[in-house]
Amino acid sequence: MYGSGLLKGLSITIKHFFEKKITQQYPEERPALPKRFRGSFELIPSKCIVCSLCSNACPNNIISIQSKKDENNKKKLTGYQMMMGSCLYCGFCVEVCPTGALYITQKYENAVFFRQNLNVSLFKDEPEQMLQAVRSEAE
Amino acid sequence: MDIFIVWVEIFRHWLTVATGIPILAEIIVKAALTLGVIIFVLLNLIVLVWLERKLSAFFQMRRGPNRLGPAGFFQFPVDIVKMLGKEDIVPANADRPVFLIASICAFLTAIMAWAVIPLGRGLILEDLSIGIFYFIAIGSTGTIAFIMAGFSSNNKYALLGGMRAAAQMISYEIPMVFSLLGVIMITGSLTLSKIVEGQKSIWFIIPQILAFLCYFISSIAETNRGPFDMTEGEQELVGGYFLEYSGIRYALFMVAEYTHLVAVSAIAALVFLGGWNAPFGLTFIPGFIWMMLKIYFMIFLFMWVRWTFPRIRIDHLMHFGWKVLIPVSLINIVLTGIGIFVFRAITG
Repeated sequence: MYGSGLLKGLSITIKHFFEKKITQQYPEERPALPKRFRGSFELIPSKCIVCSLCSNACPNNIISIQSKKDENNKKKLTGYQMMMGSCLYCGFCVEVCPTGALYITQKYENAVFFRQNLNVSLFKDEPEQMLQAVRSEAE
Repeated sequence: MDIFIVWVEIFRHWLTVATGIPILAEIIVKAALTLGVIIFVLLNLIVLVWLERKLSAFFQMRRGPNRLGPAGFFQFPVDIVKMLGKEDIVPANADRPVFLIASICAFLTAIMAWAVIPLGRGLILEDLSIGIFYFIAIGSTGTIAFIMAGFSSNNKYALLGGMRAAAQMISYEIPMVFSLLGVIMITGSLTLSKIVEGQKSIWFIIPQILAFLCYFISSIAETNRGPFDMTEGEQELVGGYFLEYSGIRYALFMVAEYTHLVAVSAIAALVFLGGWNAPFGLTFIPGFIWMMLKIYFMIFLFMWVRWTFPRIRIDHLMHFGWKVLIPVSLINIVLTGIGIFVFRAITG
């Protein structure tokens, strides 16, 4: 019959009209991310043994590690930088980490205002680290 | 709403006494009422811009504007400021005077139709004896503004949009008039208030359902809204006849479109949906409220159709207008004539 298609279209849109809306109110509502979503990297400095396997595994060579030897002739981490602008989030660095010091989080809001801010430091210098610890204790 | 009419009468009387010249008082009262109608139309516009956004969002399962004010209602001052803030550009090779007048013409012709549209018993600027005829005549002069805009822009897309507007509005004017003719035959009057009075027992949508459908379809084409928005046709014509306009002049075209939409909805409510007559004996609600409810019901229908169907092709549009709508509306006239004849033969 002529017009049955028109009525069908109208019925679909009026159904949508009363249905629950699917828009996500972003800053207030957060998306439910998949379990294995790769957002950004974090490091537990106490676990890191400065084996530099992560920087060797990195296909783009974006990880740079600084270390010094302590009195027991053990390497100690003093700096850990990642150039996130070149990161392809393959996760090789996390895969090779023998102690599980480096891990992936689901924090996906990685946008920055300036290009140099993409070079993130996952481990700050010791004095600063100390200061932060003091601050957090004070709080 | 009778209190409103009483106020106007008191104001008129006071003016006549104060000035001592009845004609001057009449002119002042009429000017004030005209201003009132324009303000009423513009207020409707604020609601409509919001409503269009919100309804289109709902039909697409979105939420629409919801940041500014309750349910995003205060989006409109932002829109207005944005429109006023834009530069008023006139293209270098445009026909300058025509280009400048065109947007004003579009707005004027849209607002002039409101002279004969009653919003309640007695709530009318001028109850002309040829009310509905006047509405149709003014409605079709809007085409000239669109051609002016398209022609003076000196742009092929704008010109195509203007030509399409002319072709479309002329060919859809005919079924629109024919569909109103059935109602006019029943009431025997062109006065809108008399047509409404004639619907006290039964709304004309019931005996004239065919005419209502014809009117509905052709009025969508008249107001250049989807799915008949061939004149704008973003995908083919960029923006149609108001392609070269910016700022306040562009806003005037939008104002004209929405004003026309409200006017067409008001006519549909008056002619087919019983105007300010209350259905089911719910007379405790004032007629004005009923009228507004019916107008907004029609506007909802227009928006529902707009956000459901894709735009049809220009040759299909012409085909549909001339080969389907006009014969159907003519058949409706014949059927109405036979109906009236039979009715008279029975009742004597």
